[in-house]
Amino acid sequence: MTTMSRRRFTTGIAAALAVLAAPAAAQVTITVNGSGGSLAQTITRIYEEPFTKETGIKVRATAPVSLPKLKAMVESGNVEWDMTELGGSDVIEATKHGWLQPVDWKFVDPDNKLPDIAKRPNAMVTATFSTVLAYRTDKFPAGKGPKSWVDFWNVKDFPGPRALQNSPVGNLEFALLADGVAPDKLYPLDVERAFKKLDQIKDKVTVWWTTGAQHVQLLIDGEVVMTSVWNGRITPLRKEGRPVAITYQGGSLQLSYWGIPKGAKHPKEAMMYMRNRLDPAKGEQFVSAVPYPGFIPGLIERLTPEVARDLPIHPDNVAVQFRFDPEWWAAQRAPLTERWNAWLLQ
Amino acid sequence: MSRRRSVQLALLLGPAVALIGLLFLFPLLGVMKQSLFNPGFTTESLEKLATSPVAAIVLRRTFLLALSVTVLCCVFGYPIAYYLATMSKRWRAFFLYLILLPFWISVLIRTYTWMVLLGREGLVNNALVGIGLIDQPVQMLFTGFAVHLAMVQILLPIMVLTCFAAMVEIDPQLVRAARTLGASPFKAFARVFFPMSIGGAAAGAIICFILSLGFYVTPALLGGRRNIMLANLIDFEVHQTLNWSFASALALVLLAATLILLALFRLVAPERRLHG
Repeated sequence: MTTMSRRRFTTGIAAALAVLAAPAAAQVTITVNGSGGSLAQTITRIYEEPFTKETGIKVRATAPVSLPKLKAMVESGNVEWDMTELGGSDVIEATKHGWLQPVDWKFVDPDNKLPDIAKRPNAMVTATFSTVLAYRTDKFPAGKGPKSWVDFWNVKDFPGPRALQNSPVGNLEFALLADGVAPDKLYPLDVERAFKKLDQIKDKVTVWWTTGAQHVQLLIDGEVVMTSVWNGRITPLRKEGRPVAITYQGGSLQLSYWGIPKGAKHPKEAMMYMRNRLDPAKGEQFVSAVPYPGFIPGLIERLTPEVARDLPIHPDNVAVQFRFDPEWWAAQRAPLTERWNAWLLQ
Repeated sequence: MSRRRSVQLALLLGPAVALIGLLFLFPLLGVMKQSLFNPGFTTESLEKLATSPVAAIVLRRTFLLALSVTVLCCVFGYPIAYYLATMSKRWRAFFLYLILLPFWISVLIRTYTWMVLLGREGLVNNALVGIGLIDQPVQMLFTGFAVHLAMVQILLPIMVLTCFAAMVEIDPQLVRAARTLGASPFKAFARVFFPMSIGGAAAGAIICFILSLGFYVTPALLGGRRNIMLANLIDFEVHQTLNWSFASALALVLLAATLILLALFRLVAPERRLHG
């Protein structure tokens, strides 16, 4: 303090603090939870890196999508995520328990261009995807692969081990379609009839998968000749030249959402990122790599016919699928899961 | 105990006790609490435990699987340990090394390796089809057979080493004495060696059984729809049905079974010392 005046010292401290504080203000990092896998790299390239360049906000991606984790975070008050992906019935469950905070639609969609189907008070549709029937083209004569859930159940003309997801959700619908129920007459599901139909195929299903990576591996390894899959996982396999194909016939068209957990640390920045995800030019790049389109205004018009044809929401594909009903499942999930487990063990 | 000694003891044991208390016992209390409070006191989960058909089937299958895996480990492990205990010291070190080797490979990797070997287009099926022994691949993966095979392979070294430790303490002179007194080789083994080694075998069996009860990854990846173990059901209740209270109640069953078996283990263990 002898060589430096008090004032100079104070200014020095202030300057130092300003230097320290400036990057801290710009260096907000939001944690965005998604499905991970090869998808995450595409999202980093198309959305996260440009977003950081434009706004200075860093994006840390985590995975996987997990309702139990959301529950644990909100209930313990230690919320790590600023935004998370959620399935349709997850959003209903999370809304019921108050685990999500409202989305400021005036900020995210100021011109009100998003269709109503894409907006909930506390969640935005991020993607549409389908659970569909996939099969190994090399295990059947050319052009003679399974075309529907009726064929999936037909083990005589389409022999070989099969896989299905270890969950009643979706499988009950597939069983009813295989039993001749019309796609628009599915809900409310005839549960007894569905389980009866599932009894017929039970022993031909050698694996009941739990993750997307698993069903891909089962097909590639030749463990099964056909399985239910998430449509987006098969597109990259086909690009690699693997002998796999999907049919949208009887597919389950579903929505997945972005939600902001209650108690998230950067809700404002998360909503900026949400708004950023609605850019049609980036959407075009994304959908060309991964066929999971959202309801981004002006997106479909930009796509080439080949890319559009592969999407779950292409009119031709919508026409042969059924619209999955998350509301029905949100109420029935717990008792039916219990019954499903008992059924599997027998 | 002198004051100095107790300070020493506190210093030596303190960190371990603190670690276990903080990171194991404290969360465990939370799990116990969750099974009884939701949020108010309720016996709902315990009632469900008693009445749920799924829990009953899974509990029974978990114990049966653990039992059959343990029996297989005894059948294969005991002779190996006997052979090790009676061979020359130089060869013994080599074979012990071979038995320890799998311990350096994680259970997950060993489980995946079985998937590569047992798959429909895996090494074993391709070889059998290749030499014309079978026409169609045999379904080995996603069966109880695969679960048994992998669990025995993972647990066998533990069984062998526990038996071996008991057997090397047996004085070979005793068996020789029985022989000089006129016992046949079988009788000398059955009346002298076997009773002295049975404590080690029992200890090994209890360890194998306890470890089997908690298996998760192996049955999840290699088993079929019937090979659901308690740990898999707990996982399902946590992740799929979000019924954490019931999951906690299931976890308590596993804990209680383990504690009872550990008490048994303590009954078996001192007996071994008497003979050794």
